[in-house]
Amino acid sequence: MSVTTAFTTAPSIEQAVDEIREQCSEITPKMVLFFASSRYDPARISKAMHDAFAGARVLGCSTAGELVSGRVLKDSIVAMAFDDRTIEDAACSIVTDVTSPNSLSDAVRKLEGEIGTPLRELDFQKYVGLILIDGLSGSEELVMDRLGDLTNMAFIGGSAGDDLKFRSTHVYLNGEAYTNAAVLAVLKPAGEFGIIKTQSFRPLGTVLVPTKVNEGRREVIEFDGMPATLAYARALGVPVEEAPKLFMHNPVGLVTGDDFFVRSPRQVEGDSILFYCMVKEGMELALLESTDIVSDTRKAVEEQVRQLGGASAIINFHCILRALELEEKGQNEAYGSIFADIPTIGFSTYGEEYIGHINQTSTMLVFK
Amino acid sequence: MSGEIKRMIDTIIQKRSNGNEVLKNTTRTKLIIKGFNPDHWTLQSEDDPAKIAELRQIARDMGVEL
Repeated sequence: MSVTTAFTTAPSIEQAVDEIREQCSEITPKMVLFFASSRYDPARISKAMHDAFAGARVLGCSTAGELVSGRVLKDSIVAMAFDDRTIEDAACSIVTDVTSPNSLSDAVRKLEGEIGTPLRELDFQKYVGLILIDGLSGSEELVMDRLGDLTNMAFIGGSAGDDLKFRSTHVYLNGEAYTNAAVLAVLKPAGEFGIIKTQSFRPLGTVLVPTKVNEGRREVIEFDGMPATLAYARALGVPVEEAPKLFMHNPVGLVTGDDFFVRSPRQVEGDSILFYCMVKEGMELALLESTDIVSDTRKAVEEQVRQLGGASAIINFHCILRALELEEKGQNEAYGSIFADIPTIGFSTYGEEYIGHINQTSTMLVFK
Repeated sequence: MSGEIKRMIDTIIQKRSNGNEVLKNTTRTKLIIKGFNPDHWTLQSEDDPAKIAELRQIARDMGVEL
Protein backbone atom coordinates (compact mmCIF):
# COMPACT_ATOMS: atom_id res chain seq x y z
CA MET A 1 0.00 0.00 0.00
CA SER A 2 1.57 3.29 -1.09
CA VAL A 3 -1.25 5.65 -0.09
CA THR A 4 -3.37 5.56 3.05
CA THR A 5 -6.33 7.69 3.97
CA ALA A 6 -7.46 8.37 7.50
CA PHE A 7 -10.15 10.34 9.25
CA THR A 8 -11.34 11.15 12.73
CA THR A 9 -14.10 13.09 14.42
CA ALA A 10 -12.54 12.82 17.87
CA PRO A 11 -13.00 16.16 19.64
CA SER A 12 -9.62 16.32 21.37
CA ILE A 13 -6.52 16.98 19.32
CA GLU A 14 -4.54 14.29 21.13
CA GLN A 15 -7.12 11.59 20.45
CA ALA A 16 -7.74 12.78 16.89
CA VAL A 17 -4.05 12.69 15.96
CA ASP A 18 -3.61 9.29 17.67
CA GLU A 19 -6.44 7.94 15.52
CA ILE A 20 -4.97 9.40 12.32
CA ARG A 21 -1.53 7.98 13.14
CA GLU A 22 -3.00 4.58 13.94
CA GLN A 23 -4.88 4.42 10.62
CA CYS A 24 -1.64 5.31 8.80
CA SER A 25 0.51 2.83 10.73
CA GLU A 26 1.10 0.54 7.75
CA ILE A 27 2.93 3.15 5.78
CA THR A 28 6.19 5.07 6.19
CA PRO A 29 5.06 8.35 4.71
CA LYS A 30 7.16 10.72 2.68
CA MET A 31 4.35 13.27 2.84
CA VAL A 32 1.18 13.67 4.88
CA LEU A 33 -1.55 15.99 3.68
CA PHE A 34 -4.35 16.81 6.09
CA PHE A 35 -7.48 18.92 6.12
CA ALA A 36 -8.92 19.85 9.51
CA SER A 37 -12.13 21.48 10.60
CA SER A 38 -11.63 24.91 12.12
CA ARG A 39 -12.87 23.52 15.44
CA TYR A 40 -9.32 22.20 15.97
CA ASP A 41 -6.99 24.88 17.31
CA PRO A 42 -4.71 25.80 14.36
CA ALA A 43 -1.38 26.00 16.19
CA ARG A 44 -1.98 22.82 18.20
CA ILE A 45 -3.26 20.67 15.32
CA SER A 46 -0.38 21.66 13.06
CA LYS A 47 2.21 20.87 15.72
CA ALA A 48 0.54 17.60 16.74
CA MET A 49 0.29 16.34 13.15
CA HIS A 50 3.91 17.33 12.50
CA ASP A 51 5.11 15.57 15.64
CA ALA A 52 3.05 12.46 14.81
CA PHE A 53 4.75 12.02 11.44
CA ALA A 54 8.37 12.87 12.11
CA GLY A 55 10.44 12.50 8.96
CA ALA A 56 7.54 13.28 6.63
CA ARG A 57 6.53 16.52 4.99
CA VAL A 58 3.32 17.47 6.80
CA LEU A 59 1.09 20.11 5.27
CA GLY A 60 -2.55 21.01 5.47
CA CYS A 61 -5.17 23.65 6.06
CA SER A 62 -8.42 24.50 7.82
CA THR A 63 -11.68 23.67 6.07
CA ALA A 64 -15.41 24.20 5.74
CA GLY A 65 -16.15 20.47 5.59
CA GLU A 66 -14.14 17.41 4.69
CA LEU A 67 -14.22 14.44 2.29
CA VAL A 68 -12.69 11.01 2.64
CA SER A 69 -13.11 8.01 0.33
CA GLY A 70 -16.87 7.65 -0.03
CA ARG A 71 -17.88 9.97 2.81
CA VAL A 72 -18.76 13.62 3.23
CA LEU A 73 -17.85 14.79 6.73
CA LYS A 74 -18.06 17.81 9.03
CA ASP A 75 -16.03 18.77 12.10
CA SER A 76 -13.43 16.15 11.26
CA ILE A 77 -9.82 15.73 10.21
CA VAL A 78 -9.00 13.82 7.04
CA ALA A 79 -5.47 12.85 6.06
CA MET A 80 -3.62 11.13 3.26
CA ALA A 81 -0.19 9.61 3.76
CA PHE A 82 1.98 8.96 0.70
CA ASP A 83 5.14 6.88 0.56
CA ASP A 84 7.79 7.06 -2.13
CA ARG A 85 5.95 4.62 -4.36
CA THR A 86 3.41 7.41 -5.02
CA ILE A 87 5.45 10.56 -4.44
CA GLU A 88 9.12 10.28 -5.32
CA ASP A 89 9.99 13.71 -4.07
CA ALA A 90 8.29 16.69 -2.44
CA ALA A 91 9.49 20.19 -1.67
CA CYS A 92 7.43 22.66 0.37
CA SER A 93 7.61 26.29 1.34
CA ILE A 94 5.43 28.96 2.88
CA VAL A 95 4.34 32.31 1.48
CA THR A 96 4.14 34.14 4.79
CA ASP A 97 2.28 37.15 3.36
CA VAL A 98 0.14 36.43 0.31
CA THR A 99 -0.31 40.14 -0.38
CA SER A 100 3.43 40.60 -0.84
CA PRO A 101 5.18 39.73 -4.13
CA ASN A 102 8.47 39.57 -2.22
CA SER A 103 7.11 36.95 0.13
CA LEU A 104 6.04 34.84 -2.85
CA SER A 105 9.46 35.26 -4.45
CA ASP A 106 11.12 34.11 -1.22
CA ALA A 107 8.91 31.02 -1.08
CA VAL A 108 9.62 30.19 -4.73
CA ARG A 109 13.37 30.62 -4.19
CA LYS A 110 13.20 28.20 -1.27
CA LEU A 111 11.31 25.66 -3.38
CA GLU A 112 13.81 25.99 -6.20
CA GLY A 113 16.66 25.57 -3.72
CA GLU A 114 15.15 22.34 -2.43
CA ILE A 115 14.42 20.94 -5.88
CA GLY A 116 17.67 22.20 -7.32
CA THR A 117 15.95 23.48 -10.47
CA PRO A 118 14.16 26.72 -11.36
CA LEU A 119 10.38 26.23 -11.48
CA ARG A 120 10.48 27.47 -15.08
CA GLU A 121 12.54 24.45 -16.10
CA LEU A 122 10.42 21.77 -14.43
CA ASP A 123 8.76 19.32 -16.80
CA PHE A 124 5.02 19.88 -16.43
CA GLN A 125 4.42 16.21 -17.22
CA LYS A 126 6.63 15.00 -14.36
CA TYR A 127 5.98 17.58 -11.65
CA VAL A 128 2.83 19.10 -10.18
CA GLY A 129 2.33 21.87 -7.66
CA LEU A 130 -0.05 21.99 -4.72
CA ILE A 131 -1.26 25.23 -3.20
CA LEU A 132 -3.22 25.72 0.03
CA ILE A 133 -4.00 29.39 0.58
CA ASP A 134 -5.80 31.59 3.09
CA GLY A 135 -9.41 31.67 1.93
CA LEU A 136 -10.19 35.10 3.34
CA SER A 137 -7.15 36.96 2.04
CA GLY A 138 -8.65 37.85 -1.34
CA SER A 139 -5.17 37.31 -2.76
CA GLU A 140 -5.54 34.05 -4.65
CA GLU A 141 -5.51 35.73 -8.07
CA LEU A 142 -2.25 37.55 -7.31
CA VAL A 143 -0.49 34.38 -6.18
CA MET A 144 -1.84 32.13 -8.96
CA ASP A 145 -1.07 34.71 -11.61
CA ARG A 146 2.55 34.98 -10.52
CA LEU A 147 2.99 31.22 -10.18
CA GLY A 148 1.58 30.85 -13.68
CA ASP A 149 4.17 33.33 -14.94
CA LEU A 150 7.01 31.45 -13.30
CA THR A 151 6.28 27.91 -14.44
CA ASN A 152 4.49 25.70 -16.93
CA MET A 153 3.94 23.17 -14.15
CA ALA A 154 0.30 23.17 -12.99
CA PHE A 155 -0.46 24.36 -9.47
CA ILE A 156 -3.70 22.91 -8.14
CA GLY A 157 -5.30 23.48 -4.76
CA GLY A 158 -7.85 25.25 -2.66
CA SER A 159 -8.56 28.20 -0.42
CA ALA A 160 -8.73 27.25 3.25
CA GLY A 161 -12.07 27.54 5.05
CA ASP A 162 -13.33 28.08 8.59
CA ASP A 163 -16.67 26.25 8.65
CA LEU A 164 -18.54 29.28 7.28
CA LYS A 165 -17.61 31.53 10.21
CA PHE A 166 -15.62 33.79 7.85
CA ARG A 167 -13.30 34.95 10.66
CA SER A 168 -9.90 33.45 9.86
CA THR A 169 -8.49 30.54 7.90
CA HIS A 170 -5.17 28.78 8.34
CA VAL A 171 -2.59 26.82 6.41
CA TYR A 172 -0.18 24.38 8.03
CA LEU A 173 3.42 23.46 7.33
CA ASN A 174 6.23 21.94 9.37
CA GLY A 175 4.28 22.14 12.61
CA GLU A 176 3.40 25.83 12.28
CA ALA A 177 0.03 27.45 11.55
CA TYR A 178 -0.17 30.53 9.36
CA THR A 179 -2.87 32.98 8.36
CA ASN A 180 -2.75 35.39 5.38
CA ALA A 181 -0.37 32.80 3.96
CA ALA A 182 -0.06 30.00 1.42
CA VAL A 183 1.65 26.63 1.48
CA LEU A 184 3.31 25.70 -1.80
CA ALA A 185 4.44 22.18 -2.59
CA VAL A 186 6.13 20.78 -5.65
CA LEU A 187 5.53 17.06 -6.03
CA LYS A 188 7.27 14.58 -8.26
CA PRO A 189 4.77 11.73 -8.48
CA ALA A 190 6.28 8.30 -9.07
CA GLY A 191 3.80 7.59 -11.83
CA GLU A 192 1.39 9.35 -14.10
CA PHE A 193 -1.08 11.87 -12.76
CA GLY A 194 -4.01 13.83 -14.07
CA ILE A 195 -5.93 16.96 -13.18
CA ILE A 196 -9.69 17.34 -13.11
CA LYS A 197 -11.46 20.69 -13.22
CA THR A 198 -15.18 20.11 -13.09
CA GLN A 199 -18.05 22.51 -12.70
CA SER A 200 -21.73 21.78 -13.13
CA PHE A 201 -23.04 24.52 -15.36
CA ARG A 202 -24.05 25.06 -18.94
CA PRO A 203 -23.89 28.37 -20.80
CA LEU A 204 -27.26 30.03 -21.41
CA GLY A 205 -26.08 31.73 -24.60
CA THR A 206 -25.89 35.21 -23.06
CA VAL A 207 -22.59 37.00 -22.56
CA LEU A 208 -22.06 39.82 -20.06
CA VAL A 209 -19.02 42.07 -20.44
CA PRO A 210 -17.86 44.07 -17.42
CA THR A 211 -17.34 47.66 -18.51
CA LYS A 212 -16.54 49.13 -15.10
CA VAL A 213 -14.92 47.17 -12.27
CA ASN A 214 -12.96 47.56 -9.07
CA GLU A 215 -10.57 44.62 -9.38
CA GLY A 216 -9.22 44.88 -5.84
CA ARG A 217 -12.72 44.58 -4.37
CA ARG A 218 -13.75 41.88 -6.86
CA GLU A 219 -16.55 44.27 -7.75
CA VAL A 220 -18.40 44.68 -11.04
CA ILE A 221 -19.94 48.13 -11.16
CA GLU A 222 -21.28 47.91 -14.73
CA PHE A 223 -21.96 45.18 -17.27
CA ASP A 224 -22.32 46.41 -20.88
CA GLY A 225 -22.55 50.02 -19.69
CA MET A 226 -25.48 49.29 -17.36
CA PRO A 227 -25.53 49.00 -13.57
CA ALA A 228 -24.31 45.46 -12.88
CA THR A 229 -27.37 44.30 -10.94
CA LEU A 230 -29.74 45.61 -13.61
CA ALA A 231 -27.81 43.98 -16.46
CA TYR A 232 -27.59 40.64 -14.62
CA ALA A 233 -31.30 40.68 -13.72
CA ARG A 234 -32.33 41.65 -17.26
CA ALA A 235 -30.22 38.86 -18.73
CA LEU A 236 -32.11 36.39 -16.57
CA GLY A 237 -35.49 38.06 -17.08
CA VAL A 238 -36.15 38.74 -13.40
CA PRO A 239 -36.70 41.90 -11.33
CA VAL A 240 -33.50 43.37 -9.85
CA GLU A 241 -34.55 42.49 -6.30
CA GLU A 242 -34.84 38.81 -7.29
CA ALA A 243 -31.30 38.67 -8.72
CA PRO A 244 -29.38 37.67 -5.56
CA LYS A 245 -31.57 34.59 -5.16
CA LEU A 246 -30.20 33.35 -8.49
CA PHE A 247 -26.50 33.89 -7.77
CA MET A 248 -25.80 30.30 -6.77
CA HIS A 249 -27.60 28.72 -9.72
CA ASN A 250 -26.64 31.35 -12.29
CA PRO A 251 -23.04 32.47 -11.88
CA VAL A 252 -20.95 33.60 -14.83
CA GLY A 253 -18.02 31.90 -16.54
CA LEU A 254 -14.91 33.36 -18.11
CA VAL A 255 -14.90 31.77 -21.55
CA THR A 256 -11.60 30.11 -22.48
CA GLY A 257 -12.34 28.40 -25.78
CA ASP A 258 -14.41 25.28 -25.10
CA ASP A 259 -14.15 25.64 -21.33
CA PHE A 260 -15.00 28.31 -18.78
CA PHE A 261 -13.71 29.41 -15.37
CA VAL A 262 -16.60 30.13 -13.01
CA ARG A 263 -16.87 33.48 -11.25
CA SER A 264 -19.59 33.45 -8.59
CA PRO A 265 -21.53 36.54 -7.55
CA ARG A 266 -21.45 36.97 -3.77
CA GLN A 267 -23.70 39.89 -2.94
CA VAL A 268 -25.27 43.09 -4.18
CA GLU A 269 -23.85 46.38 -2.95
CA GLY A 270 -25.77 49.37 -4.27
CA ASP A 271 -25.98 48.73 -8.03
CA SER A 272 -22.75 46.71 -8.02
CA ILE A 273 -22.21 42.98 -7.69
CA LEU A 274 -19.37 41.71 -5.52
CA PHE A 275 -17.86 38.40 -6.66
CA TYR A 276 -15.88 35.63 -4.98
CA CYS A 277 -13.29 36.09 -7.71
CA MET A 278 -11.74 39.02 -9.53
CA VAL A 279 -12.97 39.95 -13.00
CA LYS A 280 -11.40 42.42 -15.39
CA GLU A 281 -12.96 44.95 -17.73
CA GLY A 282 -13.64 43.57 -21.19
CA MET A 283 -13.71 39.90 -20.18
CA GLU A 284 -16.43 37.85 -21.86
CA LEU A 285 -18.49 36.28 -19.09
CA ALA A 286 -21.03 33.69 -20.14
CA LEU A 287 -24.18 33.54 -18.06
CA LEU A 288 -24.47 30.00 -16.70
CA GLU A 289 -27.18 27.69 -15.43
CA SER A 290 -26.54 24.90 -12.94
CA THR A 291 -26.63 21.23 -13.90
CA ASP A 292 -26.31 18.07 -11.80
CA ILE A 293 -23.15 18.02 -9.66
CA VAL A 294 -23.25 14.29 -8.91
CA SER A 295 -23.61 13.07 -12.49
CA ASP A 296 -21.17 15.67 -13.89
CA THR A 297 -18.53 14.83 -11.26
CA ARG A 298 -18.98 11.09 -11.72
CA LYS A 299 -18.47 11.50 -15.45
CA ALA A 300 -15.36 13.68 -14.99
CA VAL A 301 -13.78 11.26 -12.49
CA GLU A 302 -14.58 8.18 -14.60
CA GLU A 303 -13.12 9.84 -17.69
CA GLN A 304 -9.88 10.78 -15.91
CA VAL A 305 -9.53 7.32 -14.37
CA ARG A 306 -10.12 5.77 -17.81
CA GLN A 307 -7.46 8.02 -19.37
CA LEU A 308 -4.92 7.12 -16.69
CA GLY A 309 -5.86 3.44 -16.73
CA GLY A 310 -6.68 3.50 -13.01
CA ALA A 311 -6.30 5.72 -9.97
CA SER A 312 -4.51 5.08 -6.69
CA ALA A 313 -5.48 8.35 -5.00
CA ILE A 314 -7.44 11.56 -5.44
CA ILE A 315 -7.09 14.92 -3.70
CA ASN A 316 -10.32 16.87 -4.15
CA PHE A 317 -10.62 20.63 -3.65
CA HIS A 318 -14.38 21.01 -3.56
CA CYS A 319 -16.10 24.40 -3.49
CA ILE A 320 -18.19 25.11 -0.39
CA LEU A 321 -21.00 26.37 -2.64
CA ARG A 322 -21.12 22.96 -4.33
CA ALA A 323 -21.05 21.30 -0.91
CA LEU A 324 -23.95 23.47 0.27
CA GLU A 325 -25.97 22.66 -2.85
CA LEU A 326 -25.37 18.92 -2.42
CA GLU A 327 -26.44 19.17 1.21
CA GLU A 328 -29.55 21.17 0.31
CA LYS A 329 -30.52 18.52 -2.26
CA GLY A 330 -29.75 15.59 0.06
CA GLN A 331 -27.04 14.35 -2.33
CA ASN A 332 -24.06 14.04 0.04
CA GLU A 333 -24.20 10.25 0.02
CA ALA A 334 -24.46 10.10 -3.76
CA TYR A 335 -21.53 12.51 -4.12
CA GLY A 336 -19.41 10.56 -1.63
CA SER A 337 -20.11 7.33 -3.48
CA ILE A 338 -18.23 8.63 -6.54
CA PHE A 339 -15.03 8.27 -4.51
CA ALA A 340 -15.91 5.08 -2.63
CA ASP A 341 -13.48 2.86 -4.54
CA ILE A 342 -10.54 5.25 -4.76
CA PRO A 343 -8.51 6.48 -1.76
CA THR A 344 -9.60 10.11 -1.60
CA ILE A 345 -9.36 13.10 0.67
CA GLY A 346 -10.68 16.57 0.10
CA PHE A 347 -12.22 19.57 1.71
CA SER A 348 -14.89 22.18 1.13
CA THR A 349 -12.97 25.24 -0.01
CA TYR A 350 -13.49 28.98 -0.14
CA GLY A 351 -12.13 28.93 -3.71
CA GLU A 352 -10.35 26.55 -6.03
CA GLU A 353 -7.05 26.97 -7.77
CA TYR A 354 -5.99 25.73 -11.19
CA ILE A 355 -4.24 28.04 -13.65
CA GLY A 356 -6.15 30.81 -11.88
CA HIS A 357 -8.58 31.29 -9.00
CA ILE A 358 -12.00 29.72 -9.62
CA ASN A 359 -15.40 29.41 -7.90
CA GLN A 360 -18.10 26.72 -7.75
CA THR A 361 -15.68 24.14 -9.12
CA SER A 362 -13.86 21.03 -7.98
CA THR A 363 -10.19 20.78 -8.85
CA MET A 364 -8.70 17.35 -8.27
CA LEU A 365 -5.27 15.80 -8.48
CA VAL A 366 -5.49 12.15 -9.51
CA PHE A 367 -2.56 9.76 -9.07
CA LYS A 368 -2.40 6.65 -11.25
CA MET B 1 -0.45 50.97 -37.35
CA SER B 2 -2.13 47.70 -36.54
CA GLY B 3 -1.52 44.06 -35.61
CA GLU B 4 1.24 44.55 -33.02
CA ILE B 5 -0.86 43.21 -30.14
CA LYS B 6 -1.81 40.07 -32.07
CA ARG B 7 1.84 39.48 -32.98
CA MET B 8 2.94 39.92 -29.35
CA ILE B 9 0.28 37.50 -28.09
CA ASP B 10 1.23 34.89 -30.69
CA THR B 11 4.90 35.24 -29.75
CA ILE B 12 4.19 34.78 -26.05
CA ILE B 13 2.14 31.64 -26.74
CA GLN B 14 4.68 30.23 -29.15
CA LYS B 15 7.71 30.86 -26.92
CA ARG B 16 6.06 29.61 -23.72
CA SER B 17 4.69 26.46 -25.34
CA ASN B 18 7.49 25.48 -27.71
CA GLY B 19 4.83 23.99 -29.92
CA ASN B 20 3.36 21.75 -27.19
CA GLU B 21 -0.44 21.74 -27.61
CA VAL B 22 -1.18 21.39 -23.87
CA LEU B 23 1.07 24.33 -23.03
CA LYS B 24 -0.42 26.34 -25.90
CA ASN B 25 -3.87 25.96 -24.35
CA THR B 26 -2.60 26.68 -20.84
CA THR B 27 -0.77 29.81 -21.97
CA ARG B 28 -3.85 30.99 -23.88
CA THR B 29 -5.92 30.50 -20.71
CA LYS B 30 -3.36 32.40 -18.63
CA LEU B 31 -3.54 35.30 -21.09
CA ILE B 32 -7.35 35.27 -21.06
CA ILE B 33 -7.30 35.42 -17.26
CA LYS B 34 -4.91 38.37 -17.51
CA GLY B 35 -7.43 40.11 -19.79
CA PHE B 36 -5.91 39.36 -23.21
CA ASN B 37 -8.12 36.93 -25.09
CA PRO B 38 -6.07 35.87 -28.16
CA ASP B 39 -9.28 35.45 -30.18
CA HIS B 40 -10.18 39.10 -29.73
CA TRP B 41 -7.10 40.45 -31.46
CA THR B 42 -6.30 40.28 -35.17
CA LEU B 43 -3.66 41.70 -37.46
CA GLN B 44 -6.18 44.45 -38.15
CA SER B 45 -6.52 45.44 -34.47
CA GLU B 46 -5.34 48.97 -33.82
CA ASP B 47 -2.07 49.35 -31.90
CA ASP B 48 -3.13 50.66 -28.50
CA PRO B 49 0.02 51.94 -26.70
CA ALA B 50 -1.41 51.23 -23.24
CA LYS B 51 -2.28 47.63 -24.17
CA ILE B 52 1.10 47.14 -25.81
CA ALA B 53 2.86 48.35 -22.66
CA GLU B 54 0.72 46.01 -20.56
CA LEU B 55 1.59 43.06 -22.81
CA ARG B 56 5.29 43.89 -22.71
CA GLN B 57 5.14 43.70 -18.92
CA ILE B 58 3.25 40.38 -19.10
CA ALA B 59 5.90 39.02 -21.46
CA ARG B 60 8.66 40.13 -19.06
CA ASP B 61 6.83 38.53 -16.12
CA MET B 62 6.47 35.32 -18.11
CA GLY B 63 10.14 35.31 -19.04
CA VAL B 64 9.44 35.78 -22.74
CA GLU B 65 11.62 37.98 -24.91
CA LEU B 66 9.54 39.74 -27.54
